[in-house]
Amino acid sequence: MRNVAILLAFAFVIAGAVIGSGVRAEGEIPAAPAIGATIENFTLPDVSGQEHSLKSLAGKNGTVLLFIAVQCPVSNAYNERMEKLAADYKAKGVAVIGINSNVKEDSDAVKAHAAEHKLTFPILKDPGNKIADKLGASVTPEAYFIDPNNKLLYHGRIDNSRNEAQIETSDLRNALDAALTGKAIDKPEAKAFGCTIKRA
Amino acid sequence: MRFSRVVIAVCFCVLLASLAVPAQKRKTGPAKSPAKPQKPIVVSAIDTDALKQLISEQRERPLLVNFWATWCDPCRDEFPDLVKIDNEYRPHSLDFITVSLDDFSDIKTEVPKFLGSMKATMPAYLLNVNDPEPAISLVDAQWSGSLPATFLYNAKGEVVYKHMGRVDPNELRAAIDKLVKKTDE
Repeated sequence: MRNVAILLAFAFVIAGAVIGSGVRAEGEIPAAPAIGATIENFTLPDVSGQEHSLKSLAGKNGTVLLFIAVQCPVSNAYNERMEKLAADYKAKGVAVIGINSNVKEDSDAVKAHAAEHKLTFPILKDPGNKIADKLGASVTPEAYFIDPNNKLLYHGRIDNSRNEAQIETSDLRNALDAALTGKAIDKPEAKAFGCTIKRA
Repeated sequence: MRFSRVVIAVCFCVLLASLAVPAQKRKTGPAKSPAKPQKPIVVSAIDTDALKQLISEQRERPLLVNFWATWCDPCRDEFPDLVKIDNEYRPHSLDFITVSLDDFSDIKTEVPKFLGSMKATMPAYLLNVNDPEPAISLVDAQWSGSLPATFLYNAKGEVVYKHMGRVDPNELRAAIDKLVKKTDE
């Protein structure tokens, strides 16, 4: 009986250590919030270390959160499109915020990458991929569009192809245009395709 | 005395010649049988319909499908394990194909180059579609499209094992072993 108790205690200690260490099997990414769910305000540092809240950067007509990367060729194929999206919709009251959650890409790398590719929208660093986990983001690029009340309206890809010449459906722009004109979004979810976010 | 010097000189020449002949033979004789030239790696384009047919058809052997891309680090990292598994099982009991989600422009360059460096000989495809979403959804509605992704189908075309992210080779072997016997068994 005493042996069983010792074994059980040992098992609990091991289990506690594994859970406490935050070990997570690959592929186990938290589920994304459902369309219509409210995204809680959060605060993340920019590439200079200055903290910004979602609320402080949000657009009056909504906000696009873009998970992006420095080294991912798929994300990089979208650099110009992302910058143009930010410019086009800034005038319509929609803010674009980039988020880099890759553990291997530090603030300096993100800053240099933004300068090199002339990305002018704010880019935040997500240490410990907490926001990627909260939003269930798995790849780069991956987009979330929330309305002024932080209600999730669209989640998924920017468009159907990394090759700009082969774009057939601009899903994110379609969602933004529909929301801005008070129409229902035909396709509120579209699978994002890209490089897996390298989590801590 | 003079004669003996001549004899010594002749013997020396004969000795040199006897050493030189085999050396020449070594140079000009048949070379070591050259290593078998590796067959050029051909990566075939596949569209959504062809992929659907490939994975859903009834077959004689189970089918292992690995989705990957050259720009995907965990895909590259797991490839040596996949090549080993391919060598162990495919000759007798398992079909194994890889499907690259690289850009179509890489079909004759980056993709075969990487497969060659891995000595990968399983049939290789590249998904040639403008929109990858229908293909991703048909493979698994729950799959986001993140790479790598590995699926094992039984002979009836049913998914019996799937793994998103870098595969654990022992876990994959265990799943395959439930369906087939290894070559060396």
